[in-house]
Amino acid sequence: MSSTLSIVRNRVRDLRVAHDLSQAQLGADLDVSRQTINSIENGRYLPSLPLALAMARRFDVTVEEIFMVDEPEGAR
Amino acid sequence: MSGRTFRLRRGTTSVALLVGGAAVAVATWVGGSPAWALGVAVAYLVLAALAYLWAGGAGDAAAILRAEPDERQRGLDRDATALTGVAMALAALAGAVVSIGRSGNPGAYGVMCVVGGTAYAISLAVLRRRR
Repeated sequence: MSSTLSIVRNRVRDLRVAHDLSQAQLGADLDVSRQTINSIENGRYLPSLPLALAMARRFDVTVEEIFMVDEPEGAR
Repeated sequence: MSGRTFRLRRGTTSVALLVGGAAVAVATWVGGSPAWALGVAVAYLVLAALAYLWAGGAGDAAAILRAEPDERQRGLDRDATALTGVAMALAALAGAVVSIGRSGNPGAYGVMCVVGGTAYAISLAVLRRRR
């Protein structure tokens, strides 16, 4: 799991700030705790697919615009 | 969540502690130690009160104590439970080995080993059908 965590980046903090939301407000919107939003933003926790989809819907973007795989140079 | 629902949820762990504590206290009383039984009852009352206070907080442990964790907190609870199971299994195995060395049979530790092993096998068989 830690290897997966280390290669997935996310833009949750950027999107949250752009929408002028606190971690607690975003957590309330998505029915999760503030701590969970904090863990996602800091790359300590990968959300489930339903939560990622709910997040994408909340920010009106696609999941790929929030979460991206950090592929090493020349991996493709 | 309404205030009433929150209060009910907040008492989840406290109720479990009170029920478990009452069972232990009654067993201790029936076992012939009324003074110890009273001590057990008081100890569980204090623990239940502390759990109720803690469950009113906003942290991960509070959500788990209220039995209303989100998906990450559920994962934390599940992993902690699994680690607890491993610790208890190791303690039971060590106890069984020591008990066999002392008296020739594993005693209650053996029962714990059988229960643990059987529960794991059944859980694995059931869970793999669901995923």
